[in-house]
Amino acid sequence: MSQIVKMARQAEHADVHGIWIGEDLRRGSDVFVQASVAMLNAPSKVVGIGVTSPLVRNISTIARAGAALGEIDPARFRLGLGVGGLQDLVRLGLPADRPIALLRNAVQTVRRMWSGETLTIQDEHLDIHQFKASYQAQAKTAIYLGVRGPKLLRLATGIADGVILSGPMTYLKKAIDIVRRVAAKRKSQDDLKTVVWLPTLVSRRQIDQELARVVAATVIADTPTQVLEMAEISYEAVEQVQKTAQKRGYWAASKHVTDRLLHDFTISGKPSRIVEVFDALAGLGVDELVFGPPYGSPPLRSVREVVEAWARQ
Amino acid sequence: MKCGLSLNVNETLQSIVEKSIASETCGLDYLWIADLPDQLYAPVVASKVASRTRRIRIGVGLMSVFLHAPRHLAMAMDALCNAYGDRFDMCIGVGDVQQLKHVGVHVEAIRNLPSRVLESKRKISSYLRKRGVDAQIWLGAQGPKMLGIAKRFDGVLLNYSKPTMIEWAIAEGHLMRKQGVKIGIYPPSYVYVKLRPDMLPLAKISSSVVALGAPRAVLQRFGLYEGLCRAKELVEAGSSIDAIVNLVPDSVLEDFSATMQATDLPGYVDSLGRLGVTHVVFAYPQNYSVDTIRELKEALDLASRPPH
Repeated sequence: MSQIVKMARQAEHADVHGIWIGEDLRRGSDVFVQASVAMLNAPSKVVGIGVTSPLVRNISTIARAGAALGEIDPARFRLGLGVGGLQDLVRLGLPADRPIALLRNAVQTVRRMWSGETLTIQDEHLDIHQFKASYQAQAKTAIYLGVRGPKLLRLATGIADGVILSGPMTYLKKAIDIVRRVAAKRKSQDDLKTVVWLPTLVSRRQIDQELARVVAATVIADTPTQVLEMAEISYEAVEQVQKTAQKRGYWAASKHVTDRLLHDFTISGKPSRIVEVFDALAGLGVDELVFGPPYGSPPLRSVREVVEAWARQ
Repeated sequence: MKCGLSLNVNETLQSIVEKSIASETCGLDYLWIADLPDQLYAPVVASKVASRTRRIRIGVGLMSVFLHAPRHLAMAMDALCNAYGDRFDMCIGVGDVQQLKHVGVHVEAIRNLPSRVLESKRKISSYLRKRGVDAQIWLGAQGPKMLGIAKRFDGVLLNYSKPTMIEWAIAEGHLMRKQGVKIGIYPPSYVYVKLRPDMLPLAKISSSVVALGAPRAVLQRFGLYEGLCRAKELVEAGSSIDAIVNLVPDSVLEDFSATMQATDLPGYVDSLGRLGVTHVVFAYPQNYSVDTIRELKEALDLASRPPH
């Protein structure tokens, strides 16, 4: 049985709100098929994709994959869009130019495809000519945007049904503040959901700590300068990690992850420590907290322990 | 002979699942789930179908390698096989050129199409092999250039129904000499026990789409090009499907579809077997309803009975 089936079945019987599935562009399984498997194996839970990028898939594919998942249950599926991991995009030779226009157009186009409109759009990102979906989409399926940095946060808060945030705690506090201020100007404030997704790892052995540093190196290498500034982390503090990650990969870069950086970019430790951090984030008014990979080894046990610790709170 | 049904994914998931269950109950070997830019994403539909069936093999595609990155196609197969077991095949190829144009994929500007398709196949197979996934990769082929690479695949699905055309395609691809390559056809089909006249226009539309998409060289070889010229012009002008189909001669049903009485099916299947065809996929409008699927089953039962 695949890991996603096991996770979904565990989630179905656990005290969790839903399942979010991230896309790994380098390896692994198709994120849309995984979402369908999760929805079918956890029929009482919401399932979200967090996130896929319009830079790596044709927008019509994203729309019809979302439509198919919405048909399984429109109230339970959330489509997450984002620019994509910076390192992955570089490796694939995909420039993330003008990300605000990219995501704004992607959200609008997916919604228009779902509404059955005949579309002709030609701009720097899209080339659609007299397209009309022949499926009947559930236009109410929620679209979330996974974004970082003030401009993208404002965009997401303005046009999406939900915002997915990730980053160091200092950054998250400021990001949530931006979201709250922009959300106040929305016509319907209640509709916007805020999700915080953090790389989390239940640490039991030395090797778990090493893995946590690799995860931190991966996240640091992908963190834009403006997020570092908002997090009050100097470029010098992460310079070695970013340079080594580019040249020699994340394992080599992990040697330069200091304890401070490890603490800022991941949540690792005992389940009780992870729950403490989650509790602090919940106090900031976040709607959903995501216990993100790599979880710890074995993953199912780690997830179960954190869920149980959360329930004891 | 393995027999299957092609499913259209512009229907609701519920309808697709009902037809899938009917197909499995009828004992069909395969379901093929088409993938077009304006229809539901086939791998997700395949996942839903797999969750409601147990035995039937599920083919995904034709998936255009110019719409989907090979990595994504491989990841889709990986996810399906991991969740439901190794009962999935994938058919790849160029795809519907006109439909792809609507979503910004301009096939006419791409050079060396067969090499590009073959390279995609190599990448997909390599990825799946590393992940220990056992999935067959088929090629959807019609013209001489694509047929030229067919022997490098696990199987080839031909968009032909007429034995003379199938024989030509097999010879063009040097397929009889290549052991191990499965040969399948997936023509528009309407096999009936009791004729429903309202089904014939649907079969004609479907056959016309295949005929008008056929390479000019193939149409010329079989003396069909002149009769389709005017309709082809209307396709390029973007005319409505009704206007186009009105200009297509009715003989298109005979040339590009498997439309026949149930009693004629045994002889047809027998002739296909003699040519080396191993798979028949009955495409639209055979999948029109659960009733038309059951009629196909009755006809196939006739075909499998030993002769008196």
